[in-house]
Order: sequence, then C-alpha cells, then structure tokens
Amino acid sequence: MIRRSVLPALLLAAVVASLLIGQVPMSLAMLWQGLVTGEGPGALILDTIRGPRVLTAIGAGAVLGLSGVIFQTLFRNPLAAPDVMGFTSGAGLAIVGAIAFGLTVPMPLVAAAGGLAAAVLVAALAWRRGHRTPPLTLILVGLGVGFFTSALSTFLMTLLPYSEAAEAQRWLTGSLAARDWTHVAQVWGIGVVLVAAALAQAGRLEVLELGHDLAAGLGIRVERARWALSATGVLLAAAGVAVAGPVPFVALMSGPLGVRVTGATGVAARMLSGAGAGALVLLLADLAARAALPGIQLPAGVMTGILGAPYLLWRLSREMERGKL
Amino acid sequence: MSLKTERLTLGYGDRRVIEALDLEIEAGRMTAILGPNGCGKSTLLRALARLAAPMAGRVTLDGDDIHATNTRALARRMAILPQDPLAPDGVSVGDLVRRGRTPWRGFLSPWSDADARACADALAAVAMTDLAERTLNELSGGQRQRAWLALVLAQDTPLLLLDEPTTFLDLVHQLDLLSLLRKRNLETGQTVVSVLHDLNLAARFSDALVLLGRSGIVATGAPEAVLTSDNLKAAFGLSARVDPDPVTGKPMVIPL
Repeated sequence: MIRRSVLPALLLAAVVASLLIGQVPMSLAMLWQGLVTGEGPGALILDTIRGPRVLTAIGAGAVLGLSGVIFQTLFRNPLAAPDVMGFTSGAGLAIVGAIAFGLTVPMPLVAAAGGLAAAVLVAALAWRRGHRTPPLTLILVGLGVGFFTSALSTFLMTLLPYSEAAEAQRWLTGSLAARDWTHVAQVWGIGVVLVAAALAQAGRLEVLELGHDLAAGLGIRVERARWALSATGVLLAAAGVAVAGPVPFVALMSGPLGVRVTGATGVAARMLSGAGAGALVLLLADLAARAALPGIQLPAGVMTGILGAPYLLWRLSREMERGKL
Repeated sequence: MSLKTERLTLGYGDRRVIEALDLEIEAGRMTAILGPNGCGKSTLLRALARLAAPMAGRVTLDGDDIHATNTRALARRMAILPQDPLAPDGVSVGDLVRRGRTPWRGFLSPWSDADARACADALAAVAMTDLAERTLNELSGGQRQRAWLALVLAQDTPLLLLDEPTTFLDLVHQLDLLSLLRKRNLETGQTVVSVLHDLNLAARFSDALVLLGRSGIVATGAPEAVLTSDNLKAAFGLSARVDPDPVTGKPMVIPL
C-alpha cells in the first residue's frame, strides 16, 4: 500500500517544485492565492507560464514512458524503446520537414505519420523471408534508422533561415519552453485515447510475453496483435514528440524505473508505472534544465540526454554480462 | 475429440520431413510421438497444434480443418505446451496459470468463478497449490515445468499437446511429470499427445505410440506392436532387443 503511493507522491512533489521554482520564485501561499482568486502573480504562473508547461511535461512524459513499456515488453528487451529504435526521430524528422516546407498540417498528425513511417521502414529492413525477426535485429536496425532520420533532420535545418533553424534545433533537442494550453489539450486529448487503447491490449501483451507458440496456442492472432501493439506504441511516442520534441531516453528509462519504484508485475500495472515514471522523468528533467544555470533555460532534452546516456551504457553493459548482446 | 491428419505433408523450405501422413489420434488416450532427432516429431506436433502450416493435406479436429477454424475457438478445444515457453520476469505461478484462461475470457470480462475453479484445479493437479505465490525463478526445474503444465491444464481443453515436456528434467522429475499427466488423463479423459525421447518411459506411460523415421512414419499403434527390433532398426538404425519390462510388463528397449 505504501509502495503504491510512492510514485504518485513523487509526481505531486515534482509538480509543486516545478511550479515554485523558476526565474521568478514562487511561494506556496502565492500559488494558492492565484489558484483560489485567479489573480496576482500566482495566477499568471499557473495560467500562462508554468501551468501549461507542467501539464504538457506530464502528458508527454507519460505517453513516452508507456510507449517504452509496450516495446520493451513486446520485444522482451530493455533496450527496445521508441527513442532507441528511431521512431521518435522519425516523428521529429516529419515535423522539421513540415516546418521546412511550410506545411500547415496539425503537428500530431505529422509526428504520427513520421513515427509510423520509421517503424515500417525498420520492420521492412529487418524482414527476411521465412524467418521470425529477432528483437535485437529490430533494435539495431532501428538504431540505424534513427541515425539516418536525425541526419536528414540536420540536413533540412541547414535549408532553413538562421532564426528558424535555431528554433528547429531547440525543438529537435526536446524542449518544453513556451508551451500553452493548446499543447496541453493536444497531448492529453490524444494521450487519454491512446492510453485506453494500450490498456485494452494489456491482456494480449501479457500472453505474447510467454512466447510466440504459447500465445498462438492460447488463441491470440500473434502477428496481428504485435502490429496493433506496435502501432499503439508508435502513436503514443508521436503524441509526445508532437508537443515536446524527440526528447531522448525518456521512453527508454521510464519502464524499468517505474517497475523499480512500484514493483508492478502485471502488464497493465507496468504500463501505468512506466507512464507515471515518464511523467516524473520529464518533469524533473525540465525543472533541472530550467534551474541548472541561472539566467539560461536549457531544453529538457539536454537533461534527459545527460541522464539517459549513462543509463544506456549501464544497460548495455548489463545486457552484455547477461549474454544477451 | 477426434484429431486426424489427412495426406499431411510437412517440411521447411524445399525439405519435406513428413509426406502424405494419415494419422488418427485416439480420444481419451495418451499418445507419444517418438523418433530420431530431425525426423520431424516436433514439426508434426506443431502442425497438429496449427503452429506449423502444412505444405499439403490437412489436420482436422472433429472434422474441422484446424487452419480454417477461428484460432480462439480452437484454443478452447486444444492446448499446446511448446518446448521453450518464455517466463516473464518476476511472474508468480498463480499469475502464470491465470493466463491459461485467455481463450475463455472476453474483452474486459471479469474474472469468473469458472476461471478461478479451473486455475485452482490445475494447480492442484500438479501439486503446486502451496507454491502459487512463488515467482517462477524461485522454483526448481521440475517445479517450473509443472507450473507451465498447470497453465495449459487451466486452459481446460479436451486435447493437450506437449512438445518434449520432459527434455530438461532428470529421471525422477520425468517420472513425476508423466505420472501427473497419466493421472489427469485417467481422471478427466483428456487426450494427451506428447513428443518424447525416452522410449521406455513412452512405452510405460502411453496407450499408443507414433514412431517416425528419417523418411516418414515407421509404425503406429500399441507400444507392444510399435517397439519391436525391426521397427527400431528402421526408425533409429538401432540394434536393440525388446523384452517385457519385469515390473510393468510393457516393452523395454535394450540397445545392443
């Protein structure tokens, strides 16, 4: 019971800290006054400056974290995550492309198209006739596709005028600066639908975890279920990318972190733990990025990168010790 | 329950391992599939379980072609325990067994009394009721295999297919597992088809044997009729004498 409330408590603390800390420090009393009366500096912080930013971070972190849990469970590999396998960079490339070519399509749609295209590319490149693709192959091919799409994004940026290129660069790093309520509505609206879709598939994923043959013997249409879960995972990641950019490593780290905190074993509980951990990681990364250097606002992606890269290396060395790489 | 193959041809790529096989599995009995490595024992079992598609011919369950039947409906009529199922990290025995109820549970349908009964019954059948809370990695190899068996027993099907269920077990646990299966088979009338390696254990615990050789089927029928010197020579290239087992009276293979 106590363990179950640790993650919500951490989240709450992170939300409060994110609202209090910033260029203009707040006190709890000022926030409370703003919340109750709707006036004063507290209200400004809640309505415009930090409120939408915090809610966007929670939403984007949650969908990214859940996406990581789906791929890690589906491929039975802690390295499988949309940010390692190139899906988030695919979504990022699509958005930079849309900016560069001046397309006026809603960002979530662009991100979804880019993410799905990257996923299909990974599957197609890894596919060999008559063989079941090993998860590690998919992960490595995804890594390659990720490098390729990132390079294309960089190339597209060189075509942009200087100011737009700087903005795109900042965006590609993954940032939560200047988010407003449209971002909140976007990521929460799409997120709620996709989280429900993911939870509805939790039972199937739980059976897929037992291996292809046993799942098929239990009446699951294995290929169909895998594709549906993968599509849900890619769309979740894209929903996060559309509002926060391709923040690195949030999806990779959140699943194992969530399970470590909550001790969840069932797939649905692991999904929720991963979503909660994702929200926590992105909130704290954004907070740290804002507070680290006085007067300078770093993008949140810089922080998740600094945290995530050592985690990835540690993960790799552990997987090598266990003989899985 | 009537499981049949009709002119069933199996293989991978260009290689055919089983050609035009007509076979009928007896209902309510225990049948063992035997043969040398690479003869297609597991391929045959996988084809019976709709996991491997035939190159030609078909497999029917009560007259329905299993490759044309809804896979979920089929999962209520036959269960398969593959050779190497994957254990999720930290999963308990009870959780694992509950997943055996998948084909009986609708979308968002609550856990029913029938589900609970089937799981309790399956755990009792493998004598693991007390270990339901343990996680799989805390168990010994023999216990782990019994947990997997409980999962497919909870599936509550008239037909159970097992791919080399005893391969990684020592002799005591092999006997233990096969005794459990025999007991279950006699109590519930569940038809059991398994791929086995040990000829003497197969003879002891089976009503019927299917002996495969390098080029298809060598013999089928009662253990006494199948396990003969000539058949063993044909299937394995093995010179052996077959005497009645002094304890059970079943055929006992003594390699020469």
